[in-house]
Amino acid sequence: MNGNYFINLMIVAITSSLVSNVVLSQFLGLCPFLGVSKKVKTASGMGAAVIFVITLSSLVAGVVYKFILTPLHITYLKTIVFILIIAALVQFVELFLKKFVKPLYEALGVYLPLITTNCAVLGVAINNVNDGYDILTGVVNGFATAAGFAIAIIILAGIREKMEYNDIPKPFRGMPIVLVTAGLMAIAFCGFAGLI
Amino acid sequence: MKSCIERLFNGIIKENPTFVLTLGMCPTLAVTTSAINGLGMGLSTMVVLALSNLIISALRKVIPDKVRIPSYIVIVASLVTVVGLLMEAYVPGLYASLGIYIDLIVVNCIILGRAESYASKNKMLPSLFDGIGMGLGFTFALTLIGAVREFFGNASIFGLTGPKVYGTSIPVLLVELVNKIFNPDSSSAFVRGLGDFFTGEFASFSPIGILVMAPGAFFVLAILTAIQNVIKAKGEAKGKDMSKIQSGCSSDCMSCHESGCSRRLVEPEKTEAKKTEEVKEAVTEAEKPAEEVSEAKTETVEAAGTQDVKSGKEDE
Amino acid sequence: MNVTGILIAVAIVAAIGLFIGIFLGVAANVFKVEVDEREEKILGVLPGNNCGGCGYPGCSGCAAAIVAGEAPVNACPVGGDAVADKVGEIMGVKAEKKKRMVAFVKCQGGCDKTHEDYHYTGEQDCQMIAFIPNQGPRSCNSGCQGFGTCTKVCPFDAIHVVNGVALVDKEKCKACGKCIAVCPRGLIELIPYDAQFAVACSSKSKGPQAMKECTASCIACGMCARNCPAEAITVEDMHAHIDYDKCISCGNCREKCKRNSIIVH
Repeated sequence: MNGNYFINLMIVAITSSLVSNVVLSQFLGLCPFLGVSKKVKTASGMGAAVIFVITLSSLVAGVVYKFILTPLHITYLKTIVFILIIAALVQFVELFLKKFVKPLYEALGVYLPLITTNCAVLGVAINNVNDGYDILTGVVNGFATAAGFAIAIIILAGIREKMEYNDIPKPFRGMPIVLVTAGLMAIAFCGFAGLI
Repeated sequence: MKSCIERLFNGIIKENPTFVLTLGMCPTLAVTTSAINGLGMGLSTMVVLALSNLIISALRKVIPDKVRIPSYIVIVASLVTVVGLLMEAYVPGLYASLGIYIDLIVVNCIILGRAESYASKNKMLPSLFDGIGMGLGFTFALTLIGAVREFFGNASIFGLTGPKVYGTSIPVLLVELVNKIFNPDSSSAFVRGLGDFFTGEFASFSPIGILVMAPGAFFVLAILTAIQNVIKAKGEAKGKDMSKIQSGCSSDCMSCHESGCSRRLVEPEKTEAKKTEEVKEAVTEAEKPAEEVSEAKTETVEAAGTQDVKSGKEDE
Repeated sequence: MNVTGILIAVAIVAAIGLFIGIFLGVAANVFKVEVDEREEKILGVLPGNNCGGCGYPGCSGCAAAIVAGEAPVNACPVGGDAVADKVGEIMGVKAEKKKRMVAFVKCQGGCDKTHEDYHYTGEQDCQMIAFIPNQGPRSCNSGCQGFGTCTKVCPFDAIHVVNGVALVDKEKCKACGKCIAVCPRGLIELIPYDAQFAVACSSKSKGPQAMKECTASCIACGMCARNCPAEAITVEDMHAHIDYDKCISCGNCREKCKRNSIIVH
């Protein structure tokens, strides 16, 4: 592992979190992004849960892909295997937290089943495969992607909290104004394009 | 057979997944950068949806209740893998432009929701047509959104650009037209401008590029939902039941895993009404004895009069 | 047809599925959290709308507290006596009958009874009253400004701003206490459901000043207190208070009040 490798890791991290932000550029994970961003508190809880699950799942998925699927030439089964792993992992994490880290379970537990069908988790695992990352780069990619998700959702929650008392035109109340806000955030994040 | 046709209409018009139920927003926003992409994505989702509905309906008596969600997911994932491999082989261009969103059909709310709400409770043939109907509705919606975004954002329709199609952004066109009218250097600029319009020389015109990029998707969806809200408000003003029209996943996600998007598809009014009913029942049960007690109290107070304060208290 | 390939694929996916199934099954047993079954039963009996009126975080919090012995069996104000009886059955304790209470806004100074000192166009939030010039646009500074923050927090749709002042619908009110917590002037209090009369004023201004501020304000003249046969009324803080433990609902106070401050509940 030389210096180049670590620089590469950094580039991957910055790209996944900011330049091609998982929600604002790749459109993965929109449901919780729009749904759980009403208050900064719940948004940060969701962000933390997502970071936890995605990092763990990209690790396990990477390991399974490298040591089980590739040697047996059944890489085409990655979709099925990954989704099974993710579902099982989330279930296991919920059980584990409930037993051993009760305060964390109280804080994050509600969001965990939500993350199972979240596009972002499966999307990250498949991206790792498509881009040919090794396990460590895959984990870093996962962590950075989730961090980008957390950043985006917390910013949106902050804006939504501020917008609560604004006089929004009737047709735009509820979802449409949130989407417009997300669109403007997406434009802002486009500014990161020249970062790398 | 009648119910099958009804299922088709339901999916395309009455309960259109995108315009009415607002499900599956991830692929809707991501894939509709052009009409062809939208069409391709919609059709592949339709195939997966129809087949998964069929298989799940066939196996509905066999799958035990506790493991039904994981088994549905496995069935859908297998179908998606098959469809993905077929697309990679026969339409590689489309496969390349859709990218990972083909694999992400697995976690599309519509498929799991339909499986949970309809296919697991109905016979094979209606389920199949339900899947086809929903899929067609989804395809129609995606193609429409994709066409609009492509037309205004990329100056093309279904990949066709140039003089064949007047595909450019209308506001820019109008501005150029007015500019040409008032441009003193050119004679009969108005005619020239109109001529340009009809012969399609749009060298100086540029489309609204942002519409085919990420932010544009959010804006298009926002406007769509706003239009839907207007229609909903007008319908409610006239007294029609508009509860089927949702406005996106704006509900509190805290109870999503309990109810799930699927519950919304079952009979949304019933489930919501059921919950409020249960709360109401619990509360009316509580109120009844309280009312009886208070009635007894007021009777005692009136009977005893203002003097018997203590006896009134004992009755309590 | 590469049969070996197919067999390997099937075998691997089946193996992964089996492994996950066994793993989760074992994990569920190893990581099992002991839950008292009474808690589940109580949770089933409670209304389930998580209003927090009991003082515990949601119905599951209340169930846990009841089982732990921290909360009495009649802790749920929404469920009332019926739910208290059922919970008492589960816990094996007799439930005490609680008097049904409802919230009451001690102010009737709406648009018809008060006037505006100035026209206010800022945020309609009661929590911001402290920052508004002269504590709000209404002439009376102790009363309800009508911005409606209490209406936003009520989970039962029992309180609304009617004619510029908050009004509780006593049929819908479940005494959960959320509006009471949010009113910055402390205008809302719990009174018995079957209380017949209530003082609808919290004015802290002296008599002449109070008369200028609102046409129905209490001027602390004391007529009600002097004429109460049960000695249930006291005058504190420049307005009257009814003690509902003593009140016999005779109505003398309302008759004697010249300002119409005491109203029929």
